Amino acid sequence: MSRPDLVAHLAGFARALRERGVAVTLSDAADGVAALTLVDLSDRDEVRFALRAALKIRPRDAAAFEELFARLWSAGGEGAPAQPSPPRPPRLQTAAKKRAGGALAAPPGAAVEGADALPGEGAPGWSPEALLRRKAFDACSPADLQAMERLLDRLALRLATRPSRRRVPVRGRGEPDLRRSFRRAVAHGGELLKLARRARPLEEPRLVVLCDTSGSMEPHTRFLLAFVLAVRRAVPRTEVFAFNTALVRLTPWLRPGRVEATLERLAAGVPDWSGGTKIGECLAEFVEYYLDPLVNRQTTVLVLSDGLDRGDLAPLAPAMRAVQARARRVLWLNPLAGDARYEPTARAMAAALPYVDRLLPAHDLASLERLLPLLAA
Amino acid sequence: MRPEIAALLEDLERQGYIADPALATTLYLAQEMRRPLLVEGDAGVGKTEVAKVWARLLDTELIRLQCYEGLDVATSLYEWDYQRQLLRLRLAEGEGRSAGEIEELIFSRAYLLERPLLRAITRREGPPVLLIDEIDRADEAFEAFLLELLSDFQVTIPELGTVRAEHVPYVVLTSNRTREIGDALRRRCLYLHIEHPTLEKEVRILRTRVPEAGARLAAEIGRFMQALRRRRLAKAPGVAETIDWAQALVRLHGEHLDRETVEQTLGCILKDRHDLHELGTTEVEALMAEAVGAAG
Repeated sequence: MSRPDLVAHLAGFARALRERGVAVTLSDAADGVAALTLVDLSDRDEVRFALRAALKIRPRDAAAFEELFARLWSAGGEGAPAQPSPPRPPRLQTAAKKRAGGALAAPPGAAVEGADALPGEGAPGWSPEALLRRKAFDACSPADLQAMERLLDRLALRLATRPSRRRVPVRGRGEPDLRRSFRRAVAHGGELLKLARRARPLEEPRLVVLCDTSGSMEPHTRFLLAFVLAVRRAVPRTEVFAFNTALVRLTPWLRPGRVEATLERLAAGVPDWSGGTKIGECLAEFVEYYLDPLVNRQTTVLVLSDGLDRGDLAPLAPAMRAVQARARRVLWLNPLAGDARYEPTARAMAAALPYVDRLLPAHDLASLERLLPLLAA
Repeated sequence: MRPEIAALLEDLERQGYIADPALATTLYLAQEMRRPLLVEGDAGVGKTEVAKVWARLLDTELIRLQCYEGLDVATSLYEWDYQRQLLRLRLAEGEGRSAGEIEELIFSRAYLLERPLLRAITRREGPPVLLIDEIDRADEAFEAFLLELLSDFQVTIPELGTVRAEHVPYVVLTSNRTREIGDALRRRCLYLHIEHPTLEKEVRILRTRVPEAGARLAAEIGRFMQALRRRRLAKAPGVAETIDWAQALVRLHGEHLDRETVEQTLGCILKDRHDLHELGTTEVEALMAEAVGAAG
């Protein structure tokens, strides 16, 4: 391969990766070009390792990378974007789904080359009909939304109660800050006239929300998502995922703004696989790719689901156990639990229950209000 | 394979680090492109070891900054030596110097305590290897500061002015992924994800690090560990655990794996109560069959 060729192919390769939802920027592609000048271009593995290092391919994107790289290599550098491919065997099908989820995970318009990386476009298994219908969100009236926002705005301050490990300068109370005190003393000939002080500011809680958006949850989805969005306004770092038959990270879609506007955006972009739920597989995927970076000992994990599931439940208990072992607290909100006669006997609910710290109802505003003290840091 | 990379692979091995071509290629690129290397992977796969062996290869100093929550500039970059400054200030009063002179005197390099990051860029004897360990444990604010340092390799100290790097250090950052590293910092680096080793590699590591284990025991331990990692575990054991375990077995005069010894020493490799509990006798027997049976 000659040098100009390489650059052209690499740009195409980077674009193909972006279409798979792998965040590769132009500067990464430039690093790739620089790296390729340093390796043996006839050695397939060496080129592959160099590109993985330069394009910063994380384990969760490795499958997409390997597949595209194989194509790039066999086509003698033809890195054309992936066209919808023939049906895949089961293992690859999950990869296809992941890719769809990955494409979604890129915030709209955030991709370097704008239009050519629009979510869903050209990715197999996707069609405009699969997008969420607006009616699913209609169950919650605008008045309800406003009431909820007012409530959450009031409570936002109460959510922040954990002292940070960092120290910031304060006036009045706080421990002496020698560095600043002495610096000040120098101006007065070494005389300590006044001690500077520092203290730990209060920190927001860390929250991760996993929201079931399957068919059986449909009556509650709009209401619960509105709640999640309002919590996110109070605690902007909150991570939000939706799951039904696949897991989708919603966080990049949730920009600050009115709840209604965000719901509109979600309605336009979030897939609807209403029908089955695969809680076990979705949570296992969450554990594999997101647990480590997003959940730590300060994180409260909130699962919003009715626990009605028709999928394979084997992965559910180990996944929940992994989440509980790592998180500060696992809360499960079940809209059905508002009924006094409710018992957690649904298969998925029963399997997950040993690893849930609290099972709580979530059917109206009052039940969500009672939840807030548990979310505080 | 490019000869330089093949040579690097051999050098790494000579230093007792069994590397694979992916690591050698990435390390070579980091060296040539002079970019920081971000290494991720499970606990115990040898992330920190990369920096150590790199420093040995380059025959230079390893400067290590261990990150933790709340890490700040005073502990990572520099701090003034206040006690000495105050003493000097008292002395200076008797000498009849002007305020400006005094200030210049006490805010000079002599009163500056260098922390790892500053030491890494002011080292005179050539570039050191700077290991920024477990960057995911530091908070986002520190990451932003680090990004600035790694872009310009210069630091501005208000009282002293700008300190430029004498030599640009080789930088290794490691992360256990307890937090997602910011995109900006990731972009600055080359990236390497270290997987658990293959059977062949793990056995070679054992033969190098625990030579007294013998070929048979090393092979059995290797197969046992490979089989164990295929099980659903809360904490998959890393190479560090494999080495610990091999050392323990050698102490117990084991020449091959037997069930009783394995059960007694399982604590070396499984450090999660639930994992230990789950791995009952039948499961250990199944693993033994995979490890020893295949040998027969």
